Parts: sequence; structure tokens; C-alpha cells
Amino acid sequence: MAESPITTHDPQNDASGPVQPSPQEQKKMEQNYAQMKRKMSMEEIGRKIKHKIMVLSGKGGVGKSTVSTGLAISLAQQGYKVGILDIDITGPNIPKMMGLDDHRLHVEEGRIHPAKGHLGVKVISMAFLLDDPDTPVVWRGPIKLGAIQQFIGDVEWGDLDYLIIDFPPGTSDEPLTVTQSLPNIDGMVIVTTPQAVALLDSRKSITFAESLKVPVIGVIENMSGYTINGVITANSSIEIAGPGGKTITSTSDENGNFSVTLDIFKRGGGKSTAEDFGVPFLGALPFDPGFVRGGDDGVHRIISDPEGASSIAFAEVVKAIQAQISDEASAPLEII
Amino acid sequence: MAEIMPKLVRIERRESDFHLTYDNEQEFSITYHDLRHACPCANCSPLRNEDETSLTLRSQVESFKEHKPSVNPVGHYALNFIWQNGCSNGIFRFERIWALANHRDPDNGKQYVHGAW
Repeated sequence: MAESPITTHDPQNDASGPVQPSPQEQKKMEQNYAQMKRKMSMEEIGRKIKHKIMVLSGKGGVGKSTVSTGLAISLAQQGYKVGILDIDITGPNIPKMMGLDDHRLHVEEGRIHPAKGHLGVKVISMAFLLDDPDTPVVWRGPIKLGAIQQFIGDVEWGDLDYLIIDFPPGTSDEPLTVTQSLPNIDGMVIVTTPQAVALLDSRKSITFAESLKVPVIGVIENMSGYTINGVITANSSIEIAGPGGKTITSTSDENGNFSVTLDIFKRGGGKSTAEDFGVPFLGALPFDPGFVRGGDDGVHRIISDPEGASSIAFAEVVKAIQAQISDEASAPLEII
Repeated sequence: MAEIMPKLVRIERRESDFHLTYDNEQEFSITYHDLRHACPCANCSPLRNEDETSLTLRSQVESFKEHKPSVNPVGHYALNFIWQNGCSNGIFRFERIWALANHRDPDNGKQYVHGAW
């Protein structure tokens, strides 16, 4: 008679002790346990972080990461506890902008401790995990999803007033993962530049937000005008050839100071797009070469020039965001 | 002078329509059929581009048994209505609801092009 392939185990008569799981089974159990813990952690994080703001753009190069760091630093300047989650796994720029280029993350008892940048802003980014900044991260969707869930669930954020979440450009699966993992997101901020090409993509972002049933906090128009300041003879006029061949005239004051704003990427497109979609326009941020230098040097423009036009513009945008997400902003709609 | 839209402060679900009250004390009604026909989602909106398909959409909406939907705010700018049947994807901005309340075309005569609004 052939030996049965089915083995039976009688615990009462088995002197060898309980059956140990195989290494594969053990690994699966550990993964399931970690997943369960992460889910619970995400819910707790959802409670401990008061406001969660997603920052998106339809296309790259509109200054989304600059805006994300600017919002975070501007909020921190007001005394709030702020964190930035850099979800752009393939192009993580936030650490460089926050002066955290060579930082490595500290992990303790399975919890990831974020780095601290300007004004105590906590930062988590894929960049911290790369030994070589020239190393590309080539991950398929499920691995990206797992990494994002770890960034949300395994990080010791502590109590935060605001978490700014910076995404890669476009409408991809990263925002979907975050909205499914992190509860009670206040909404999305869409960053655009004024020209038609960027606006076309920003409109897709607004529709994308609607498909995710995530509120649109509003639209920010970045690189909105480049202001030149100079000194000429007092009380005299100067003519400057602006974009599109337009001549711009300015008159100096009694000290000879003059100021001219050039609409390099046009102007007003962000506001009209917001109006078309019926979402708030949060404000315009000027084109400031100081952001370029600051991004490269790791000293954000708001830090290097806290009283400058860019810092003031960011403060106004932050005020507009706060007005949208505060509990007092909501119309007391009675639904019967 | 541009019209200033008042704030919607009360929405009452009745047997076959919504009763809306605004902060300037104006009151309006929008039937469930009218609202559902004006759904702004990407599936329903293209159907309103042509008369024939628009009528088909209207017939479909009117075939559903009327019932009170759930009403969920979306941020501070829109409402989402959850029905027991048919489409519940539409996010109705307050401007859209205001247009419907005033018996105006909520699409402003514009054809729907995906991603264009």
C-alpha cells in the first residue's frame, strides 16, 4: 500500500512539540502583522495631524516643490508645527531645498524619525534612503505603494498642525495611494504657472481631485511676474521692452527708484482657471531668481529674505489656505 | 455688475425635490430629475452635448424611482448626492446648484470636453 501523502498531527501524542511555521509562513505572518500595525498607525496619525494638505501640479517645472517648502516654512514662521512628506519617489527635491542634503534617517524600534529642516519643519523623503543621489529609483507600482504607506504609517511624526504632502507632477497613482491611506485630508492645492500649456494640465489636476472626491483648496499661480527694481534719475521715465514686444513704462520716485514687472509667463491664467472651475484662487507668487539660488544652496528664499516680496506673497497664500480649511470657513449648511 | 451668489444655508430633501434656502432668505426648489440630468460627472456631461443623447439621459433619470438621496459636502465648495440607483459621481459646485435653482443652464451653453471643466 502506497504511503499516504497526507500526514496527520496528533498534538496529544506528539512528543516533538507544536508545529513551527516555515520560514515563508513566518515571513508572511510578520508582513501581515506589520501591515496591520501600519494601518492602525495611519489612523492614529490621521488624528494627531490636524491639517493635511496635498500639493499637486499638472505638469513638471511649475515650482511645486518650491511652493510646498515655502508653504511649510511660512507656516512654521507663524509658530505652527509642520511636516513635509516628499512623495516624489523618482525626483525627491525637498531635502536639498531644506538644507538636508546629506541627512540619513534615524530608525528606532521600527519607527522612522523624520529629519528636521528650517524652523524645525520635519521632513521625510525618499532622498534620505539613497546612498548616491545619482541613483534612479525604478520601482513598479506595488513597491511604490508599499513605500508610500511606510512613509505614512511608519514615521514618528508626532503632533503636527500641518502636514504638507508634495507629489510628483501629473495625475498618477501616488495621490490615490495617499488618499486611500491617510484619513481626513483637508484637500489639494494645485500649483500652476500662468501660461496656457501649464493651465491645460492644471485643469486636469482639478478634475483629478474631483474623481478622488478630495476637495480642492485652491489654485496657486507661481512665477507670476518678474519684478525688476532699479535706480535712475529722480522723477523720470524709463521704457523697457517687455515680453511679446510690449513696451512697459515706469516713472521713478523722488529718490530715483523705479520698479517694473515683466509677465514672462503671462499673468492671470491661474486666477481665470480657478474661476472657470469655481475653486478658490489662493494667490500669485512672483518669479524670483532667489528661489533658484535658495533651492540649490538649501536656504529657502523665505529664510534668506523673510521681509521680501516672495515671503510676503507666501504669507498671503498661507492666509488664504487657512481661511479655506478652518472650521469657521465652512458655510453652516443645514441638511435635512 | 457681476451677480453675487448668496450662500446656501439649508437644503431640505422632500419627496421629489430639494428645497433650498440662501442666506439672503431667497428660497428655491430643484427637482431630483433636474439635478440628476445636470450631473457634471465625466460620464453624464457628454450626453448633454447633443439633444438626442440629452433626451435619453433625461428619460433614464426619470425612470428611476424618486427617493431622498444622501447629501455630502465636498470641501467648502460643492455637494455630492448619493442615490440608490444611477449615477452618484457628480460633484455639484454651489455655483451649479445656484444656476439650477434659477432655471439657468448650469453648463452655460458650453459643450463638455474631457478635462476642460
